[in-house]
Amino acid sequence: MQLHVNPSDELPIYRQIMRQIIDAVAGGRIAPGEQLPSHRDLAEQLVIAPLTVKKAYDELERQGLIATQRGRGTFVSAQLPAVKPEQRLERLRDPAQRLLSQAALSGVPFEEVLDLLQEIRKGMAQ
Amino acid sequence: MRVLEFNDVHRAYQRGSEVLRGITFSLEAGEVVGLLGKNGAGKTTLIRVAMGMIEAQKGSAKVFGLDPRTDALEVKRRVGYVSEDQVLPEFLSVGEVIRLHRGLFPTWDENLERRLREQFALSPKSKIKSLSKGQARQVALLCAVAHRPELLLLDEPAGGLDPSARREFLETSIQLLNEAGTTILFSSHHMTDVERMAGRIVMIHEGRLLLDNTLDDLREKYTLVLVPSGSDDRHARLKSATGCLSVRDQGEALHAIFSMEPERCRSVMERDLGIPNAYCTPIALEDMFIELVGGRS
Repeated sequence: MQLHVNPSDELPIYRQIMRQIIDAVAGGRIAPGEQLPSHRDLAEQLVIAPLTVKKAYDELERQGLIATQRGRGTFVSAQLPAVKPEQRLERLRDPAQRLLSQAALSGVPFEEVLDLLQEIRKGMAQ
Repeated sequence: MRVLEFNDVHRAYQRGSEVLRGITFSLEAGEVVGLLGKNGAGKTTLIRVAMGMIEAQKGSAKVFGLDPRTDALEVKRRVGYVSEDQVLPEFLSVGEVIRLHRGLFPTWDENLERRLREQFALSPKSKIKSLSKGQARQVALLCAVAHRPELLLLDEPAGGLDPSARREFLETSIQLLNEAGTTILFSSHHMTDVERMAGRIVMIHEGRLLLDNTLDDLREKYTLVLVPSGSDDRHARLKSATGCLSVRDQGEALHAIFSMEPERCRSVMERDLGIPNAYCTPIALEDMFIELVGGRS
């Protein structure tokens, strides 16, 4: 798994890490049960403060996406956490809104946004 | 545990004008804090007060609860210090400078010394005056950390270094953080370095504390608002609004900083201030710096 952070991004660095790990899990680039680098190793690799990586890991752990086993390391959860049905769509509302705003700004019709989603989905599966 | 504590620190130049006009903040063990401010804001003076190199004329600085002036030896043994304008004796060799420092510190870690010397590819025989700026700074860093200080005070440690030397300096600092959880206060003009290293930033301006918050909060809980200038009194309305830190007239538009999330800011603009078409966006550290200190006369 290759991660990259951009310190000047408007997204906090710990969120950038979270998002990339979530993307990697969603896209199958990390399998459930697979081990992640320790937060210290990842901090050295990305040249960022160890506490920042720890914050990202703690938050992912709170969401049930990863689990730390004492003395063994940090792993992607074998079973991804169940989300309550009513929360599922709610979680997508914000990113969906942003996507549609962007599309409207760039003059992309709704149908083409759907096509784009299809295309990305195919790409993630590979 | 409080490692470093500034309490209403005042300090004037010898000519009389005040550089520090009452600075108060503290660092808990393990915190890494970036100290930001324009040239002349008082960063170097503040760090020198903490080192006991100069004295606070009013208020106090405490390091591990000790007074850096009266308990100078104890404080210096537990602190590491690197500054941009630090001068190493030019006529000595790298090995001699290291030996000098080793003799001063009972807690000197020879393994760490060796490791850093190899990592930086420093030859003990090289004369200090033959070193590049980057290499000389590496010698200074080695001497500042090999006694495993509990607190590191870094004043523009990467100032004047090229990007690869800066990166190497950063990598070493992060390795050390990983090993020992050292508490660090460092000043820098390189915002990306601050964003990589620090968990929290303290911004000073004209000798006063302007902002003290975690970097994550700065990104998530502050908003840059861009408003078309308009002919009404919106400048004054923005300025007196709750949560407004600054308003800057940029000709076509007004730039305001608010200490609240963009989402909430949007509704405040429309509902409370009656300013439609305000653009509310999260703000990067560099822009925050420019908005808060760059534009003031």
